Amino acid sequence: MRSRSALWYILPIFIGLSVFTVGPVVASLILSFTHYGISETPTFIGTANYVELLRSSLFWQVLGNTLYYVLLYVPASIVVSLALALLIEKKIRGIAIFRTIYFLPVVTSMVAGAIIWSWLYNSDIGLLNYILSLLGITGPKWLQDPHWALPAIAIMSIWKNAGYNMMIFLAGLSTIPKDYHEAARLDGARSWYRFLYVTLPLLSPVTFFVLAVTTIGAFQVFEQTFVMTNGGPGTSTLTLSYYIWQTAFKFFDLGSASALGYLFFVLIVIVTALQFLIRRKWVVQQ
Amino acid sequence: MHYIALLVVALVMLVPFLWMIVTSLQSPETLVKFPPDLILTSPKFSNYSEVFRDLTIGTFFFNSIKISLLGTLGELLAASLAAFAFARMEFRGKKILFAVLLSTMMIPFQVTMIPVYIIMKWLGWLDSHASLIIPHFFGGAFASGAFGVFLLRQFFESIPRELEDASRIDGASRFRFFTTILLPLSKPALAVLALFVFMGIWNDLLSPVLFLSSEEKMPLTFGLAILQTVQHNFRYDLLMAGTLISIVPILIVYIISQRFVTNAFLRTGVKG
Repeated sequence: MRSRSALWYILPIFIGLSVFTVGPVVASLILSFTHYGISETPTFIGTANYVELLRSSLFWQVLGNTLYYVLLYVPASIVVSLALALLIEKKIRGIAIFRTIYFLPVVTSMVAGAIIWSWLYNSDIGLLNYILSLLGITGPKWLQDPHWALPAIAIMSIWKNAGYNMMIFLAGLSTIPKDYHEAARLDGARSWYRFLYVTLPLLSPVTFFVLAVTTIGAFQVFEQTFVMTNGGPGTSTLTLSYYIWQTAFKFFDLGSASALGYLFFVLIVIVTALQFLIRRKWVVQQ
Repeated sequence: MHYIALLVVALVMLVPFLWMIVTSLQSPETLVKFPPDLILTSPKFSNYSEVFRDLTIGTFFFNSIKISLLGTLGELLAASLAAFAFARMEFRGKKILFAVLLSTMMIPFQVTMIPVYIIMKWLGWLDSHASLIIPHFFGGAFASGAFGVFLLRQFFESIPRELEDASRIDGASRFRFFTTILLPLSKPALAVLALFVFMGIWNDLLSPVLFLSSEEKMPLTFGLAILQTVQHNFRYDLLMAGTLISIVPILIVYIISQRFVTNAFLRTGVKG
């Protein structure tokens, strides 16, 4: 049964989709070929924005920072999430309380998390360096140290987000048939071997999903730098996402920022496509 | 042994929250003490009234409530209408439109934010709550509504078609069936979606940062971020009190509906 009235039901979403997403995706491609200050009319300048960006050393440094952050954050956060999932998978008394606690940072806003951790990271009177000093370690200056600021943001983000992937891993773990573990146990496989040869392969489709989504999310890191460092000290925590925002809304160079946005988009698409390409090599098909 | 591991991890997860609470009750003198006092000898509860008096936290809080509630209402309306059409009606371009809608979830905000900003400027919505509320009635300025359409469509499809046929035979219009039968039946799904959307808007920093400039319009996220970044030697005791106030509503909602959220999460999370 075809119906005209369907139009009325999808109209709001359709308008929103056109005005706020499809239109802007096209518009921003066009803007990327223009010189456009915030209160001027855009003038066409061809690929000049792209050429200028690819020639600027700051762009490459920002790209490097972003990749460094992704490499710091993604593997560690996946390992932590999986470990948490394995920890709360056991059906023992009170486990729901632990699950709730591990998920608390996820429902908290990134802003709140970032503010709390800025205080924990305070190099003079912060709790973290105090705890480290009790262990005989002199803590670094964290957010004030160009070498430690990005790792500090990564650590904070792992704390904030681990519970999210934990839940997805937990769902994945619950789909692994018990018989497999049982069979491996009867064959005399120890728990570590069962994890390596039963759990990990059977979980690999879920791990792939988590990897793809977490990587895209990590590339987009914005709120943490906005609250904790503003890209500093120096440019040590200036990541693409924040750099795009800064170019557009601090330096009011909307043309260049649009070009950056598209380069960023292409980068994410390439990385995701690569992940799909090597998927076959390690993801077990059931 | 297992419990020890569980407890240690729980402690790591909780310490930042506990330290926020402890700090929020410090006085300016005890705040800067090193090594810090781990136990408060005289908690300063007046910090909380001071935050409301001096830091416009009350205004931020009210703005957050207003934006989140109205935005959630809008997104639920838009999503449930569209989900109904996608679940129960046939129309030209349905498959393509649904595919486009889902794919918008993968477009990073960095690509669309500049044109969206310009559109808000044209509409005259900059520095007004309209920019943060009205787009949700059309599925959100950054395609957040797509998830809701996806979630509700699945739920609507699980409701037997016979129910609609019966109500149509009784002479009810399709819209009447939608409002008086389908929506009430979908309360569980709507509640979960409302929760997700509310949390999303409450915790969002990007849209306010893009569209707002005056302090009295800001929601908690933006307001607190400004307090944190503008003043470097800021009174962390007050900032922590403000942060705690911003977290409490979400925590209450989450803890009450914890089982609910977890289940919904397990069902929708894997499919993404």
